[in-house]
Amino acid sequence: MPRLSSTRDLSELRDILLSDRDDSTIGIAICAGTACRASGAGDIIQAVKGYIIQNRLQGKIALQTTGCHGFCEMGPFIMTLPQGAFYPQVKLDDVERILAAVLLGEYVEDLLYRDPQTGKICYERDEIPFFKHQHRTILAANQRIDPTRICDYIADMGYAALEKVLNDADPGQVLREIKDSGLRGRGGGGFPTGLKWEMLAGQPSHCGKFIVCNADEGDPGAYMDRSILEGNPHSIIEAMTIGAYATGADEGIVYVRAEYPLAIRNLTVALREAREYGLLGENILNSAMAFDIKIVRGAGAFVCGEETALIRSIEGKMGEPRQRPPYPIQKGIDGKPTSINNVETWANIPIIIRQGAKEFAKIGTKNNSGTKIFSLVGKIRNTGLVEVPMGITISQIVHDIGGGPSGKAKIKAVQTGGPSGGCIPADRFDLPIDYDSLAEAGSIMGSFLRKAAAHLDPAGWQPSGAATEPLPRLA
Amino acid sequence: MTNSAMAPNETAASEPTRVDREDILTILAKYDGHPGGLIAVLEDIQKKYSYLPREALAIVCQETGSSQVDVYGIATFYRAFSLTPRGKHLVSVCLGTACHVRGAPMVAEEFERQLGIQAGETTPDKLFTLETVNCLGACALGPVVVIDGHYFSKVRTSRVHKLLDKASSGFEEVLTGEDKRVFPIDVSCPRCNHSLMDADFVVDDHPSIHLSVCFDHKHGWMKLSSLYGGFNMVSEHDIPASTVVSFLCPHCHGQLIGRHPCPVCEAPMAPMMVRGGGIVQICSRRGCRHRMLDLI
Repeated sequence: MPRLSSTRDLSELRDILLSDRDDSTIGIAICAGTACRASGAGDIIQAVKGYIIQNRLQGKIALQTTGCHGFCEMGPFIMTLPQGAFYPQVKLDDVERILAAVLLGEYVEDLLYRDPQTGKICYERDEIPFFKHQHRTILAANQRIDPTRICDYIADMGYAALEKVLNDADPGQVLREIKDSGLRGRGGGGFPTGLKWEMLAGQPSHCGKFIVCNADEGDPGAYMDRSILEGNPHSIIEAMTIGAYATGADEGIVYVRAEYPLAIRNLTVALREAREYGLLGENILNSAMAFDIKIVRGAGAFVCGEETALIRSIEGKMGEPRQRPPYPIQKGIDGKPTSINNVETWANIPIIIRQGAKEFAKIGTKNNSGTKIFSLVGKIRNTGLVEVPMGITISQIVHDIGGGPSGKAKIKAVQTGGPSGGCIPADRFDLPIDYDSLAEAGSIMGSFLRKAAAHLDPAGWQPSGAATEPLPRLA
Repeated sequence: MTNSAMAPNETAASEPTRVDREDILTILAKYDGHPGGLIAVLEDIQKKYSYLPREALAIVCQETGSSQVDVYGIATFYRAFSLTPRGKHLVSVCLGTACHVRGAPMVAEEFERQLGIQAGETTPDKLFTLETVNCLGACALGPVVVIDGHYFSKVRTSRVHKLLDKASSGFEEVLTGEDKRVFPIDVSCPRCNHSLMDADFVVDDHPSIHLSVCFDHKHGWMKLSSLYGGFNMVSEHDIPASTVVSFLCPHCHGQLIGRHPCPVCEAPMAPMMVRGGGIVQICSRRGCRHRMLDLI
């Protein structure tokens, strides 16, 4: 593939890829993320390939391996195209029946997902309550692309945001757009992203500036960042390139946990492809912009998720946090101005640029725009990743999406925000989930929601829901 | 002539470990000027030797000018590093909160009981090292256990014995007759299109794939199993573990070399065309079982 030498080349390539597409093509999609692999997706994928080869079905049925769709409890699954049927917890013996049915446009009803509450068969994935109640912008992309194929990303409007920025916007306009979107840091702190970028843009650039993607997701229970990085690494590359354009940064680093080998592998492939296509490195799309991204692996230190410790780790030292000021924006990696953003924060950037800030801000609540991905884990029926608009209530997540408790026990509380967060008891499940409401309740947004084990001491809050003392926190 | 399965990469499990200075220098050169340099260097050393040998750390200090305090500081600060030899198989049990509430501590205890060691220790026969980790990021499916890089979900205590057995026999061992994951492929050279199949030389009850092989000034033939998922082969010469060979088409003598290296061990991959449409690639390093199959 020759290097793309202009935004026009990129646009033309996208047109060619889209014109080659046929939405009536028969195919199947299988999640090959870490969680589904742990449930045996690797074996299912291999068995599917075997069936296709032995029956000479190459070209008649397309196989797409994707990143995480979010419904991890039901993995490994097969999704059929264009039917949109969802076969959960597929066994090796089921593969032949499912593929034979897909080729005929039929269903294998006894293997389709059945709503456990109504007993109804769901013929299409979007009928399933787990998916129906979500607002999937970021995770929906995971479903549509193979993370190791840049052309899948480009055909899915990938790099269109970068194209728009290089064609039509100056750095100041990009900064204003991100500020107007109201995007706040998705790592849990909720600092306005546009403001952080503006501060970096205002720093002197003669020594260089860094932008960093913090993928050191250490909170037990949280794996949203892993799924985004595994499933759509190009979205992060595109986002960081836009960030570099807006702030004047010339070096990018993705700091990723060593415990995420598949994310590291997929990102490595994506970086290589992006460079080959002229979307990263020197003279990006002939725009004279030079920017590249390196991967730095963590080595098992939870504290390196904190930005000053992360910086020290990137410098090759022990990840010991330090006092602030000076803040990383003023003095970060090697003493240079550095802006650190979470993976999910970055994943929102191409969406904001493509849709426009106003459109983005229509989702969510005042001062809490957009969606948030949560990891819903613990003793709940439907565990996995859910993407919901800011302001949805805990009850809607736990019951409508999560399907309620996994066993006979009642849900007593959820823990939000990881080790820095708190527990919210069941009588407060009408609380909307956003940065401000959770902070008022004594917890934080953080990254995940979990049903706590039933060992809470009810002293400390009143049954009506008003907390008279701070809510209980995990150690 | 040797008749052997391509064995899994054998991990050094006994002291003292022979450290190859050239290996350490190569690793240092790879990360020269790279952010996170020293940590990445130690990670690669540990990947090669399964732990951080004292001799390797001494070479790192000499070559980089870093003090032993700094290097040992990093080696002991980050949990991923081990200063003592690890067993052939690494068992990691996740005790993160989501796995914890699903019973992970009992699973960890069962591993301890069956192996006769505590978490953090290695069995006397140097076969297994057991560790507990704080979160592996597969939280929806806890309790999660990782053994030799293979992930297992919803692990119950009743499954522990089987997992340990499987680790000993090798997770990639398959019953070629019955396993639905295993199937024969028919391949040809991507350069000259000539079939690479040899119907007269059968491996695993199927025509074998015939390739020429070069390594260490030797040139010979190799007959690989055409079962995708099977790893048996017959080779004219004995190939030492970890040797990177060159695979050549026996018809056009062109080298089979893919555009991108093996994502596991970085050796070149050898591509072959699959009849009907598709490409299969195998790693050219003896002992690395990584392969990829892409269909059209």
